[in-house]
Amino acid sequence: MKTLSLKNLQKTYFDPYAGSQVTAVHDVSLDVEQGEFVSVVGPSGCGKTTILNMIAGFIPYSGGEILLDGIAVNGPGPDRGVVFQSFALFPWKTVLDNVSFGPKIRGVPKAERDRIAREYLELAGLSHAADRYPNELSGGMQQRVGVVRALANNPAVLLMDEPFASVDAQTRMTLQEELTRIWQQRKPTVIFITHDVPEAVFLANRVVVLSKGRVLDQIKVDLPRPRVWDDLMQDETFKRLSSQVLQMVRSA
Amino acid sequence: MFVAPLLALVAVWAVVVPLFDVNPRIFPSVASVANAALDTIRDGSLFRHIGASLLRVGLGTVIGVVTAVPLGIAMGVSPAISSFLTPLFRFFSVLAGIAWIPIATLWFGYGFGAIVFVIFNAVFFVVAYNTLLGVSTIPMTIRNAAASLGAGRWVMLTEVLLPGALPNIVTGVRTGLGFAWRGLIAAEMIATNVGLGYMLFVARDFYRTEVIVLGMIVIGLLWLLIDRLLLVPLERATIERWGLVRRT
Ligand SMILES: Nc1ncnc2c1ncn2[C@@H]1O[C@H](COP(=O)(O)OP(=O)(O)OP(=O)(O)O)[C@@H](O)[C@H]1O
Ligand SMILES: [Mg+2]
Repeated sequence: MKTLSLKNLQKTYFDPYAGSQVTAVHDVSLDVEQGEFVSVVGPSGCGKTTILNMIAGFIPYSGGEILLDGIAVNGPGPDRGVVFQSFALFPWKTVLDNVSFGPKIRGVPKAERDRIAREYLELAGLSHAADRYPNELSGGMQQRVGVVRALANNPAVLLMDEPFASVDAQTRMTLQEELTRIWQQRKPTVIFITHDVPEAVFLANRVVVLSKGRVLDQIKVDLPRPRVWDDLMQDETFKRLSSQVLQMVRSA
Repeated sequence: MFVAPLLALVAVWAVVVPLFDVNPRIFPSVASVANAALDTIRDGSLFRHIGASLLRVGLGTVIGVVTAVPLGIAMGVSPAISSFLTPLFRFFSVLAGIAWIPIATLWFGYGFGAIVFVIFNAVFFVVAYNTLLGVSTIPMTIRNAAASLGAGRWVMLTEVLLPGALPNIVTGVRTGLGFAWRGLIAAEMIATNVGLGYMLFVARDFYRTEVIVLGMIVIGLLWLLIDRLLLVPLERATIERWGLVRRT
């Protein structure tokens, strides 16, 4: 069952300095199944962030449609959870209160929302940090909080824009493994934007390659799960898929 | 912590005044000031003056903060309004306090109203300006994060904009209170018959330098106490804990 549907999506920015229009997204159509993990890759400036921000409702679109369960998207909302590259945690809230913020807005009573938040923190191995403030955590820990904060709100889609780009390589691999594990347990619908081709393949059911504001190609990833780097690094299928995607990106 | 340097100052004073045999009409001795303190404490006048001054500062500050914060937030939310009003608020921040005393006495007469207005005025513009600044420095991604977790206007205001602007609001209150405290003393010299400023001013007419110096000491100490016991702990409890403090 498809949940998210982009139809001939288009975005034109007005550049006030040049005094001219810039078309960042020309014509993008994409259907995402419920519980699917879609990675989106493409060269810098091809419109990835723009598309994600339109789905999130942070910026308006200039043409086409974005439908979530058949309803047109208009402005940000809790049905679309977002994980930011810069984490965007609330510095004035403890880790627990960050994660329980979404349920709190929905009016979930305190005991219940704290239970939900603790369950998700446990899932991310962060139970011990519940009462700390974000500035007391490492970047990797902060992004784990960012991910479960979005998940705890039970969104229809999870939108992630290069969420692991600002942590070190070691931590990034751990976070990737954790994300696939959490995805397997909860089966959220995910759109994951990245520059990193192996990361895209490692995580996804499907990789979408963008070029200059259009969908260039897509590729299914049928690698078995659970996926861990120790296995996949040597895996022939993984290597073949990665180099295939890499070639598409480089030709884009 | 801040006791030692003050004691050192008193020690210098205790040595210098007898050493140069300073005329008490020019500067009092430590002992005469201590006596003046005991006398004014005993007859209750010192606490009457302190009470009057603190009430005015407290009231003016509360009114100032309560009105300035919502206005500052409203302005900070809209970039157009904030860039339009920023120069105005800078302008009035510079004028805050003392410069308003003459016109305040015309509007409110000599007394309580004029003084509270001067305090209010000193606090209001500085706090509003800093609140505006605070709101406009909250990263857009944090506001976006709240919106995509379901925050509406009210939640955005109370859970994001207000706490996000708090470091600047506290800075504003500290600066504003500093202006207000000076404005208070000046206004009390002109516009009233009770309060620390008035105490100084009247003592001058009788060449009571020991009362003048006592008043100055009380004014300075009270400010240090307000800052250390009220404003600094407020900063500690919130902002430093959150890692938001921009170290000065
Ligand atoms: N606010 C804006 N105003 C004008 N042009 C913009 C704006 N935001 C993005 N663009 C332009 O739109 C195009 C797509 O930008 P976008 O950020 O979506 O790319 P991206 O694929 O996310 O790139 P990267 O991989 O570097 O993050 C770029 O040419 C960019 O310069
Ligand atoms: Mg981008």
